[in-house]
Amino acid sequence: MLDLGSFNSLQLDAIREMGNIGTGNAATALSKLLSCMIDMDVPKVKLVSIYDLAQHYGEPDEQVAAVFVRSTGGFACSLIFIQNEEDARLMVELLLKQQFGDALPQDLSQELRDSALSEVGNIILSSFLNAINILLGTQHQISVPGVAHDMLSSILDVVASIFGQMGEMALMVNTELRVEGAGDSAISGNIIMVPDPDALEILLRKLKVL
Amino acid sequence: MVENAYVLGMADLMVAKAPAKLVTLGLGSCIGLVIFDHVAKVAGMAHIMLPDSRGAANLEKVGKFADTAVPALVEEMVKLGSVRPHMKAKIAGGAQMFALPGASAEFLTVGAKNVKETTAQLARQGILLVASDTGGNKGRTVEFSTSNWMLKIKTLGKGVTEI
Repeated sequence: MLDLGSFNSLQLDAIREMGNIGTGNAATALSKLLSCMIDMDVPKVKLVSIYDLAQHYGEPDEQVAAVFVRSTGGFACSLIFIQNEEDARLMVELLLKQQFGDALPQDLSQELRDSALSEVGNIILSSFLNAINILLGTQHQISVPGVAHDMLSSILDVVASIFGQMGEMALMVNTELRVEGAGDSAISGNIIMVPDPDALEILLRKLKVL
Repeated sequence: MVENAYVLGMADLMVAKAPAKLVTLGLGSCIGLVIFDHVAKVAGMAHIMLPDSRGAANLEKVGKFADTAVPALVEEMVKLGSVRPHMKAKIAGGAQMFALPGASAEFLTVGAKNVKETTAQLARQGILLVASDTGGNKGRTVEFSTSNWMLKIKTLGKGVTEI
């Protein structure tokens, strides 16, 4: 298994570029789904301590909404789309307004909201995965999405447990997407891609930087 | 007397003399383990992330794994004057944050393995597990106070319970 500490800047740049291609495709898909302009950041590739993952995204006990999928196949990874609760609520309403227009009921059930949220997350994350698997020339299968509303640090335990067995660091590809033109402040969300530790070597070989 | 409050991060382990408050935030699949002794008036907490240290490249933090955290916490308690027969334990955490139907990934069920291994390690050390609140799919923030030797558990949407 590769030692995360031994990654050079060329390798990290290659992973960042892969993240960029994935995010571009995810932003396009989200833009079509919501009929809105989507703004995206250049992705960041971070080697971070598993002991303080939360500090990169907010407070450990901050309440967030997250959609999680597993991708298996030629390049195995986990993906999380994470938003603060208010942004998740606004995004769900934006999606449902596409469907219902002004007839959107005020008292939407949590079940309906979660279903819409998991669909938004699924479209963002599958688009991300499709693009990177085309780039890598790999086949992949995506799991059913899982949704959670919880404390940031509880959600990120998933990432800590993926990388914890092998060491103290995690490799994360992170991008922020922002939905423009949705009221005063943009709705934002983070895509976090976490490669399986034993898939890192495959990833670097496919990107031709190993 | 004023309680000293200590906040533990991931994989941290610490012991304190009463009066003290030991806190750890946002346990998902992790375990908040408390061992206390109200005779010697000491308490300790560990924020356990994973069940088993075998295969770990290094052991920078003994609090990280159940099989290293439990013996280490007992040892630290002894250093503060506690004796094993007086030690009692409480645990909380070990949730499964995401359920993905049809997907098999070992790390998704790490919470249950953490509970199992922590419980087994306590039994091996001969320490009585007096209360636990584990499993489910919600994160927990825990707070142990030596004022009443109770573990307060906060869960989003479910409020506060004490064990």
